[in-house]
Amino acid sequence: MSSPELLSFRTAVDSYRAKLKDECAAVRDLQGLEDLRHRYLSRKRGFVTTLFEDLKKFGAAEKPVAGQLLNGLKVEVQETLAALEVRLKVPVIAKAEIDPTLPGERRPWGAAHPLRIFQREIESIFLEMGFGIEEGPEIETDYYNFEALNFPPMHPARDAWDTLYINDNLLLRTHTSPVQIRVMEKRKPPIRIIIPGKVYRRETPDPTHAAMFFQVEGLVVDKGVTFAHLKGTLEYFLKRLFGEKVKVRFRPSFFPFTEPSAEVDIECLACGQKDPACRVCGGTGWKEILGSGMVDPQVFKNVNIDPEQYSGWAFGMGIDRIAMFAFGIPDIRFFYENDLRFNRQFHLK
Amino acid sequence: MNISLNWLREYVDVEIPLKELLDRLMMIGLICEKWTPGPNGDVVLDIETYANRPDTLGHLGMAREVATLLGRPLKEQVYPLVELPARTNEIVDVQVLDEDLCPRYTGLVVKGVKVGPSPEALRAKIEAMGLKSINNVVDISNVVLFATGQPIHTFDLAKVAGPRVVVRRAKKGETLRTLDGKNVNLLPDMLVIADEKRPLAVAGVIGGEPSGISESTTDVFIESAVFDPASIRRTRKALEIQTDAGYRFERGADIGFAPQAAVIAASLMISFGGRVSKEIVDIYPKPKKSKEIVLRSRRAADLLGLSVPDEFIEKTLTDLGFSLKSSTRGSWRIQVPSFRVDIEREADLIEEVVRFYGYDKIPVVVPPLQVLDPISTNNARFERLSQQMFHFGFDEVVNASFADPERERILGVIRRPIEFRNPFSVHAAILRTTLLGGLLENLRHNRNHGADGVHIFELGRVFSWANETDHVEDPAFGALSAGPIGFPHWNDRPETANFPHLKGAVESALEVLRYAPLAFEPVGHPSYEEGSALALLYKGESLGVFGRIRESILEAYGVSGPVFAAEISLGLLLGKKAGLFAYEPPPKVPAVVRDLSFLVDRGRTYQDIKSAIERAEIPHLESFDVIDRYAGPHIPADKTSLSLRFVFRNPLATLLTEDADKSEQRILKILKSTFEIQLREGGTG
Repeated sequence: MSSPELLSFRTAVDSYRAKLKDECAAVRDLQGLEDLRHRYLSRKRGFVTTLFEDLKKFGAAEKPVAGQLLNGLKVEVQETLAALEVRLKVPVIAKAEIDPTLPGERRPWGAAHPLRIFQREIESIFLEMGFGIEEGPEIETDYYNFEALNFPPMHPARDAWDTLYINDNLLLRTHTSPVQIRVMEKRKPPIRIIIPGKVYRRETPDPTHAAMFFQVEGLVVDKGVTFAHLKGTLEYFLKRLFGEKVKVRFRPSFFPFTEPSAEVDIECLACGQKDPACRVCGGTGWKEILGSGMVDPQVFKNVNIDPEQYSGWAFGMGIDRIAMFAFGIPDIRFFYENDLRFNRQFHLK
Repeated sequence: MNISLNWLREYVDVEIPLKELLDRLMMIGLICEKWTPGPNGDVVLDIETYANRPDTLGHLGMAREVATLLGRPLKEQVYPLVELPARTNEIVDVQVLDEDLCPRYTGLVVKGVKVGPSPEALRAKIEAMGLKSINNVVDISNVVLFATGQPIHTFDLAKVAGPRVVVRRAKKGETLRTLDGKNVNLLPDMLVIADEKRPLAVAGVIGGEPSGISESTTDVFIESAVFDPASIRRTRKALEIQTDAGYRFERGADIGFAPQAAVIAASLMISFGGRVSKEIVDIYPKPKKSKEIVLRSRRAADLLGLSVPDEFIEKTLTDLGFSLKSSTRGSWRIQVPSFRVDIEREADLIEEVVRFYGYDKIPVVVPPLQVLDPISTNNARFERLSQQMFHFGFDEVVNASFADPERERILGVIRRPIEFRNPFSVHAAILRTTLLGGLLENLRHNRNHGADGVHIFELGRVFSWANETDHVEDPAFGALSAGPIGFPHWNDRPETANFPHLKGAVESALEVLRYAPLAFEPVGHPSYEEGSALALLYKGESLGVFGRIRESILEAYGVSGPVFAAEISLGLLLGKKAGLFAYEPPPKVPAVVRDLSFLVDRGRTYQDIKSAIERAEIPHLESFDVIDRYAGPHIPADKTSLSLRFVFRNPLATLLTEDADKSEQRILKILKSTFEIQLREGGTG
């Protein structure tokens, strides 16, 4: 029966043997061989040399066994290295000298879709401001998409939201706003969220219209929330996105689910408010960028939140529109064509 | 809405530079999209209006906004009448049979009017509205509509049988030839204006040709009524007719103004001869009380973050036509004029005040930071999955959720697709049930634009009916790989898309989400070539399929293969619990590595071998993988040689050779007894 020391010695010898094989395979030139020889057989710290020192630990009975094992290893190392030396010394046709100015090698990499890049950029600004991210279904009911948001069944306000219907009750959400209702139904204030996602309109696609596009919705509900906070938050957001100096303007508008409502414009970045014939802003110097307002009291009632106690504001914007405006992209359909020559550029953003 | 500045001047003095006027209008929410010069120094503004503001659909309503904005008075108008001796109800018998759909109906008769071409002033107004002048009587009814927002209708009294005017629902089978020359079938839920015998007009939407004003008309019945907005909208949509009258009625007409509009029309008409009946017919069985709302300036300040002076509130609302009653300090009881159908609550009044006070005066305040409960969504997990795919060289794509039913049929749809009731195109008539169609389109597009290698993935929802009533909206992950991976380079030659590359990328993407071990099982699938499809299983449940796309499908898309693809239900996957993450110290002791080569029957899958070894729980076996595979000379024709590398380790102490030997023997024994798998000659390494 062998002692534990001998067993462990044997394992060590085995493992060097296996290791040598791998290392030999990696040697490309004589210098590499010399390094390897040194590591195994150096008089001072070679692996084999060190193992010889371990022989001292064994008693008379086991010493010969251990010695034999080790000698076996030593012979094998010497023979293997000698054989390797022969192989390496065979003259090979000299490889073309390396020209270090040749292009470096790039492994293929994948790029995120441009709209996702914008979505994440928008999300990260709001995350820093303490917002959470929510999501909701793309197939919605008439109730969540319209009625709960204060669009009565036969109201002409619905005309501005051309809708793709599945049946009398089901439709594709025309905005991310129904998620406001879903969130307020299940959670009580304080609420501070954004809701990114796909939305749908019954539109024949053209350069500025798509039947599917991306929106980000925002909702804040708490005691003491004011229109001034809405302005503060959105101005901060737009300056982060478009630069500290960008001019922002709030003007009255109408949405059934906010009261008062505001449309937000930023100065035209294409012409710097200087070109009366600018194709981006139509010469107005301003570009409509999002819709917003204070949550309508009827919307609060629909989700059993007391509008006397709580107030809130909401906003919604198109990610596609913002990306188009930011980069002067003339056609919204570029985003859904997935021409990789287009998509991959935004990786550099 | 077209607004003529000359016309507006009849109500309010607007002598300020046009640009300033437009800028200031915009800041109260009235956007002029474009303006065009008209005759006699006129300028016609095209002003965008809102669905809740029918009062701005006439010059008078616009003038009220402008007057309030500029702080100028609204000019009073007078409408003199020359009366007949007869009362209106002596000339015509008016009955309203459905007061829900017609809460107020008023009428006057003008006798002896001379129908003819409109004079210049009248014609100019009509043309500024983008209409063609027809005759003086018809033009007058349009002028009243564009002046006041209240639609009126005129009937040739001689063509009204009775003469009796009955407001009732249509009877089954009744038809009407309308003023635009169409024959329409009327339905019982539509409101009509009828005489003794037949319908004369579709109430509030369009008049009928037979009772219309013509050159021979001498006596006119003027109708000025209010109809139920929802009913008007339903009727208009059913008949597919859009008219200026219908547009206003479905937004809500001013119930208080109906008689006055009839008077204005009559007064304008008698300038062409004739006299007006005495005592207007006014059927208004349930007079509407004016709405009363309490407005607190404090509440306004709380909502806006800005305090508006009481005087400003009072002046603005008064100018807009509201009456303020019994005010205690900072609080008013406010009566809403009947033309403001949009004002229902205090918040609506606050908007009116701040609209004129100026949104730009509201301070800009960043709300205090607040720590809220975190919300858990799958976003972070999707992000990790994407990162892993980028790492493997796959580009992200986003495709439309719509699909062409024809294309989905080619793909061999398994799920029942959801169809649209009103698709915008036959090529987008259903919701996609699979991501494959979009990915193949992307391949086609990029191939047609010079790309060779296309390696893409998409995260998006797919949709289907689960049964007759319930639908499924499932987050899915799809990937497609075709052509060279990477670009030709002097130091390396690109690999070509192959199944293991795609499989490895997807496996690895799922593993970073800590879904492991994954298992695979050959399956049949309509999208994939026979024998190429593989189901992905996690904890025994199939979550998706990989494979090589069928040649017939590639042909339909016009792309050449091979094309490899995968689609996985993330709904199913993420519904399962991911493995927990636990740190393990890097082992301090060396491992024993054994490479073994086996002769395996062709047809035996690696999955079988892998599962058998995993089930056996071999002591000290840390990991194993396939490092080589060979079939050909030197081995029997019905066999494949598989080389596996086994790594054995005892984390607590250096593993003894004997123990590694024992584990190795166990593996050999299991493979032999289960599958009759033998070590290849010289198969230890």
